[in-house]
Amino acid sequence: MGKLSVNFNGFELKNPILTASGTYGYANEFDEFIDVSKLGAIVTKAISLYPRAGNKHIRITETEAGMINSIGLENVGIEKFIETKIPELKQNNINYIMNVAGSTIDEYVQVAKKCENEKIKAIELNVSCPNVKSGCLEFGTDENSLYELVSSVRAVYSGFLIIKLTPNVTSIEKLGIAAEKAGANAVSAINTLKGTSINIELINGKYKKTIVQGGYSGKGIKPVAINAISRLYKVINIPIIGIGGIETLDDVLEFFAAGAQAVQIGTSNFTHPNTAERLVEELDEYINKNGFKSLDELKKELRA
Amino acid sequence: MKKIYKAKVNKIEKVSSSSYFIEIECENPVFVEAGQFISIYCNGLTLRRPFSVYSNNDGRIGILFKERGKGTKYIKSLKVGDDIDIAGPFGNSFDIKNKKSLLVGAGIGAAPISYLKTKLDNENIENCFISGFLNKNEIPKGMEIDKICTDDGSFGEKGSVLNYIGVIINEYKPEVIYACGPHIVLKIISELGEKYGIETQVAMEKVMACGIGVCRGCVIDIKKNGKIINATVCKDGPVFKGEEVVWEN
Ligand SMILES: Cc1cc2nc3c(=O)[nH]c(=O)nc-3n(C[C@H](O)[C@H](O)[C@H](O)COP(=O)(O)OP(=O)(O)OC[C@H]3O[C@@H](n4cnc5c(N)ncnc54)[C@H](O)[C@@H]3O)c2cc1C
Ligand SMILES: Cc1cc2nc3c(=O)[nH]c(=O)nc-3n(C[C@H](O)[C@H](O)[C@H](O)COP(=O)(O)O)c2cc1C
Ligand code: FES
Repeated sequence: MGKLSVNFNGFELKNPILTASGTYGYANEFDEFIDVSKLGAIVTKAISLYPRAGNKHIRITETEAGMINSIGLENVGIEKFIETKIPELKQNNINYIMNVAGSTIDEYVQVAKKCENEKIKAIELNVSCPNVKSGCLEFGTDENSLYELVSSVRAVYSGFLIIKLTPNVTSIEKLGIAAEKAGANAVSAINTLKGTSINIELINGKYKKTIVQGGYSGKGIKPVAINAISRLYKVINIPIIGIGGIETLDDVLEFFAAGAQAVQIGTSNFTHPNTAERLVEELDEYINKNGFKSLDELKKELRA
Repeated sequence: MKKIYKAKVNKIEKVSSSSYFIEIECENPVFVEAGQFISIYCNGLTLRRPFSVYSNNDGRIGILFKERGKGTKYIKSLKVGDDIDIAGPFGNSFDIKNKKSLLVGAGIGAAPISYLKTKLDNENIENCFISGFLNKNEIPKGMEIDKICTDDGSFGEKGSVLNYIGVIINEYKPEVIYACGPHIVLKIISELGEKYGIETQVAMEKVMACGIGVCRGCVIDIKKNGKIINATVCKDGPVFKGEEVVWEN
């Protein structure tokens, strides 16, 4: 393994640069722009037991420092993912983490069982999606429901289990602790913040309002993510994967300093579709230029 | 070929009271079908802005754009020789039929239709290009249009293209109609196509994030085999068969 590699007790990443769920497709879609196999891993779009059609109306809008989405977890469902996307991932040598969404514990458990059968090495539970009215929201905001969900999935899945935490809570520490106690191998933070945009136009003397309510992501949420990770780092012992507004190498270093072991790139894949690949190259260059023997040494210095 | 380029502005000029033509030269020539689009990174903005291709001489990409907000203001500010970050080409294209063709543009929607016309002319396919604008100052300089309408009657026929489309269908008797413009124009053309049994192909717009079909931000409803399903404007489109689109009101 190279200097940039990360070993999460058994789950290996060739580098700490991952791409975030919902912004990168299911497999090799970004090969139009970069060599996806160079990344530490991609996290797939959320996958549920059955395909979902997602939300109606306007699904995305730009904000001052990011965007709001209300995609509503449109996805192909686990069967189709296994049938068509896993072969593509394997063929292209892409390391992946499957993001899972559900509305009931049973749905998560059924998906997790299928992942176990398929020997999928790592899954990330989306317990924090603010778009779906039923289910999701409660798991990520209440430590008892979260504990119950994570232990139920843990009981049927032996691979690397990541819980993706929502920032839309008062004490993220409690949720991180619940996930760890229930047997999670890592947490990732953060999912999108709740946001609303009202675009106002005056047309022929009348106001036309376009309202988009959903998950706020991008540059603007970075301080919220750094805050969440710093707080989690103090109270849990499992690795933290940092997410939120990452665009530059300085952002990545900031996440390492806060306590993240790896990072995921989301919205900035849209702005510059080669961001993740560029960050791998820049991190490699940075480590060599500054004489670090390993990524761990760099992280240690950053946290000292 | 990776679809993201560091390119340079080769030409930029104002071509009507509200629109600009910009020609972009990439390191290597890029070839684009009519109906496809590119996306431009606009300094500091999160989402790239999509624009249909208007011309493609020697692998340079020309677009015609209307100033609307921050993104187009930035593009307008570029000068010859400036760097520009573009990605593409994306999306499907008009499915060119060797049939008598009616081309309909409205406003800036005339851009991809004008590019389609050059393709049809090159293949010697009989066609008629009609386009509507607000007034004569809005007609892009250099665009070759067979029949023009203006809302205020300051050039060509007075009124919207929609006022003439029925008459033209009856007189010209097209076998296929290609269109791009505001939602309402595309909707009415699709309905007329169905009424007269003429194939229609319409180029749609929707706010986009990824441009390659992964974020599912730009979906519309379409009818396929009796079922209503999601289609992405960026990858499954932007060109759809008029009769397949489920039109919102
Ligand atoms: C496939 C396609 C082809 C297009 N071709 C052309 C063209 O040839 N010429 C032209 O002038 N315009 C074209 N447009 C529209 C063009 O993308 C918008 O005018 C532009 O994005 C406006 O950006 P702005 O920052 O100036 O305005 P803003 O103030 O940001 O937005 C003004 C309006 O532009 C639209 N818009 C904003 N962001 C996006 C986005 N990321 N994706 C799509 N639409 C957006 C919205 O409807 C918005 O209300 C096309 C759009 C699509 C989807
Ligand atoms: C369009 C879009 C779709 C998303 N879909 C999912 C999803 O399916 N599952 C999930 O766990 N997170 C999803 N997210 C959240 C991202 O994975 C990420 O946590 C968030 O966007 C913050 O990172 P960023 O600021 O780098 O984008 C989505 C985000 C965006 C912008
Ligand atoms: S813009 Fe992402 S799916 Fe069309």
